[in-house]
Amino acid sequence: MQELIQQVVSGLASGAIFASLALALVLIYNAMGLVNFAQGEMAMFATFIAFTLIIHGLNYWIAFPLTLGIAFVAGVVIERVVIRPVERAPVLTLVIVTLGLATLVNGAAGFLFGYVPRSFPSPFSVQTINILGAFASFQDLSVIAVCGIVLIAIYLLLQRTTIGLTLRAAAHHPEPSRLLGVRVSWMLALGWGLASAVGAVSGIMVAPILLLEPNMMQTIIIYAFAAAVLGGIESPLGAVVGGLIVGLTVNLAGAYVPFVGGDLELAVALAIIVGVLVIKPNGLFGRAAVRNV
Amino acid sequence: MPSALLELENVHCGYGQTSVLHGVTLSVPEGSIVSLLGANGAGKTTTLRAITGGVHWLGDIRFAGRSLRGRHTEDIVGEGIAHVPEGRGILTELTVDENLRLGAHKRKDRDAVRKDYDRVFEYFPVLKERRWLSASTLSGGEQQMLAVARALLMKPRLMLLDEPSLGLAPLVVRSIFEIIRTINQTDHVAVLLVEQNARLALELSTEAYVLEVGRVAVSGKSAELQGQESVRRSYLGY
Repeated sequence: MQELIQQVVSGLASGAIFASLALALVLIYNAMGLVNFAQGEMAMFATFIAFTLIIHGLNYWIAFPLTLGIAFVAGVVIERVVIRPVERAPVLTLVIVTLGLATLVNGAAGFLFGYVPRSFPSPFSVQTINILGAFASFQDLSVIAVCGIVLIAIYLLLQRTTIGLTLRAAAHHPEPSRLLGVRVSWMLALGWGLASAVGAVSGIMVAPILLLEPNMMQTIIIYAFAAAVLGGIESPLGAVVGGLIVGLTVNLAGAYVPFVGGDLELAVALAIIVGVLVIKPNGLFGRAAVRNV
Repeated sequence: MPSALLELENVHCGYGQTSVLHGVTLSVPEGSIVSLLGANGAGKTTTLRAITGGVHWLGDIRFAGRSLRGRHTEDIVGEGIAHVPEGRGILTELTVDENLRLGAHKRKDRDAVRKDYDRVFEYFPVLKERRWLSASTLSGGEQQMLAVARALLMKPRLMLLDEPSLGLAPLVVRSIFEIIRTINQTDHVAVLLVEQNARLALELSTEAYVLEVGRVAVSGKSAELQGQESVRRSYLGY
């Protein structure tokens, strides 16, 4: 029982990390109908920025929000410079552009920071705390708390503010929104900025668990894809729920299904993607796609 | 003579290789209702789209004396033109209230916005009842009401209405047209009304233009056009 609780907590912690990256994917998918394959690499690069700030003596809790700010600005700039020129291009062009971007960011990180894995400082103590007789790691609980706060902040921004309203309007109905005075093109850039910042949270949270190196996010992004697809690629809430489910499933399967172990965890995520696409293509929270033709 | 609120002068435009408007000239005086009539494909919707920058055009379009050349849709509507597009432009992913809020989202005069909300709900009580529901649950008539209400919340000087009667039951059309008249009279909003239902449009408007394949074929006082049987027969189909 005690081990189960530990596994659940650490599954939720992984899930919160997947959820953050999945939410980043969903934000951009909603805005442009496009999966941003560079999302993980952008998060990795932001994590390197946080790392650089911290090893130069900046307090973790200053470096963290500062990095999110930098990631936000970088996301906006990437949209303006890289995506804007191909905004109206067919989706395949956009996919290739984001794949190119992923390669570029990965290469740039390797060039600037090198490929040697580094251990990322964690502000959370490694001790465990006792809940209901079970010991959960403080690290895991903190990750859940930080991701939770960020996800709630994004939810409030989208649902409770005028800027969030215009973001949603521009994402779903660009033409009518323009007629209401919404600057749709800037909203896309803002969406990229937000996605970039949320993605950075996942990178910074996962770095102390894995080791920081340019390919750090390449498995995480698969889990995030699984989470986004499971939630119904268009739903921010779905991304979060999907992330938690994927985190739990992968962790519990790794711990209790003998042949999965630690090696086949990624296969579980891929199985989720395939399973959802076959059984319920709209995911848990998605709507059936209706198109006028 | 006071200059018109909206003036189109020899406007040409088209989509790609296809030319749709071949020199449209018309004007909408301050506070008036002008109807723009014509058959399908005559260029009525394109004319409205040109005004709010939805298509590239040649010639000149002036609003309140200033040319709209080269300006973006978002800026043009900010000048005080509310465009209710073909198909109503309802944001069905959002709630009724969110649609209305978007109408007013650029305004800084909060007290006036609150008053406008009250008035809009007075005009369209059904929107108050449905305020927190998804806009996708509204019927066609209710969606049209929402579109007009949202346009009113933009506090426009000019409303462009693209076929407000399309697909609606005659009684619903009547009540919407009545409210358009009220809005025009009490809020002094000028209206450029595109309609297939020429009879209703002529009743509501003071002036009318009839488009035929991208040109103004006939124009004049609505009452006069109504009276001319030859015009009615050949252009208005009733």
